[in-house]
Amino acid sequence: MIIDVNACLGHYPFRRLRHNSAAKMVAHMDRNGIDRALVSSLHAIFYRDTQSGDEEFFDEISPHRERLIPIATVNPKYVGWERDLADSVVNVRVKAVALMPEYHGYALNDSDGRGALAKIASYGIPVVLRQRLEDRRQRHAWDRAEDMTPLALLAAARAHPNLKFLLVNWLGLDGEKLVEAGLKGRCLIDFARLQIIYRKDALRLVETLGIEGLAFGSHMPFDYVGPSLVKLANFERLFPAELERIAWRNASDFLGLA
Amino acid sequence: MALASAGAAERGETVAPKAQSSRLAIGLPANWRQLRKFDAHHHVFLAGRRSLSDWSEVDNLIEAADHLGIERLFCSRPITAGVRVNIDVVRDANDSVLDAMKRHPGRIGGYCFVQPGNGAAALDEIERTLAAGMIGVKLYNQYNFTDPIIFPIAEKCLLHRIPLLGHSGHLTDPKARAAQPRISDALDFCALARRYPTLQLILGHVNGGGDWEWAIRGIRECPQIYLDTSGSGLDDDTIGRCVRAVGPDRVLFATDGTMEGCVGKILSADLTAAQREAILWRNWQRVLDQRLT
Repeated sequence: MIIDVNACLGHYPFRRLRHNSAAKMVAHMDRNGIDRALVSSLHAIFYRDTQSGDEEFFDEISPHRERLIPIATVNPKYVGWERDLADSVVNVRVKAVALMPEYHGYALNDSDGRGALAKIASYGIPVVLRQRLEDRRQRHAWDRAEDMTPLALLAAARAHPNLKFLLVNWLGLDGEKLVEAGLKGRCLIDFARLQIIYRKDALRLVETLGIEGLAFGSHMPFDYVGPSLVKLANFERLFPAELERIAWRNASDFLGLA
Repeated sequence: MALASAGAAERGETVAPKAQSSRLAIGLPANWRQLRKFDAHHHVFLAGRRSLSDWSEVDNLIEAADHLGIERLFCSRPITAGVRVNIDVVRDANDSVLDAMKRHPGRIGGYCFVQPGNGAAALDEIERTLAAGMIGVKLYNQYNFTDPIIFPIAEKCLLHRIPLLGHSGHLTDPKARAAQPRISDALDFCALARRYPTLQLILGHVNGGGDWEWAIRGIRECPQIYLDTSGSGLDDDTIGRCVRAVGPDRVLFATDGTMEGCVGKILSADLTAAQREAILWRNWQRVLDQRLT
């Protein structure tokens, strides 16, 4: 079984995406042997009213809830966000909540960011922090967001010691610094931008965070799934006994999917 | 351009049975490690060389290639960050590539990196390294490809019928563009290609960070330019877009250090088995077969 912790649905303003509706995504997962995926809405990032993006997203995936596990997106600068967050957690029963500070005009360490992180922590579910959607070197003129920095992540981790962090699409994380910030045992990192062989940065994170800190993620539909399937196959070759942890069990345990 | 539908099963290829303990091979051809692969764009000692006796980086590269079934890797050691250096530094960089070739004969091939600003010494360096077994020339971002200073290098490549691999990018991010003010994009490559219509010119790393859609559209009218598929970007449908735009015979498999990702991109792409084989090694072999030396 494979659970993909790094997936989105919807349209992206600056590039055509394939496999970006719920039905297309499930068919794409079938072709690639992916059983379940943690998905969030791109519309929720780019609509002014984030919650209206999530509402159409929740409706769209409702026939596929066995395969697509919804993540809510919250914009703490928008009116009524706490009420919307409560609705997503209590009624939709989302397993995690994404923050996109670079796209919504705040920082993790300002009053909006701190408030959102504290509120998510109060529900006992993880926050999802995505370092980037696309490489900035190909940015559209209207795309002003920057990559989330490891420094901002570490500060947030220290400021919210009871919050769990699902870190997707990250590169450049230092395992020792994550441990110093208290993230060992309360973060899960996907390997969509990491390498198992050659640069081996995924394995270095495992050395410091433990095997429970790494999970399968592909960043579909932005990226091809093949790269992550190759990484998983290489992981299986090197550490066959741990394959299940990376392929799905770590994600299941971290998110309470069982 | 007729394209097969996505997925190994839909291509009529053998896929691992679902009854296996893991389902990893679904979506990948069952024999993906055994598919022949030549990596047309890689590097050795890019971050410097710690000592003459330290082979760990190069040996690690070969170990990774073994895992992925990459038979041959064609490497260079360019001086990066737009820095211009004297010919002694260039020679030292090329010597380290030659050392790696000797360390792993038959596995590592070499491109000669030169800085056109070194003038006649750069041309001599090409001759020296070709005589030592290198197969082509690599240019980085010290000079734009529309700069006439490039022309003698291109003419030297034509003389020997060797490939010229160029660092490329259409950088739309102001900070990235400021860091590489003379980087060449697809239209710059086209300008050079029009001046030298038989030059075997390779637009390096289509997924190297710039606007790859722009790059693919840009070279459609320049039929002798090859695209290499390397780069850290793994953007879905890049390979399909390359093939639809320029045809499967002008696309070269390469990794530039993103080894698992770039193998995975080809395996996931909407390609027929013949197209995939052409991209993974046959096209590059055809380029190499043109050489006079």
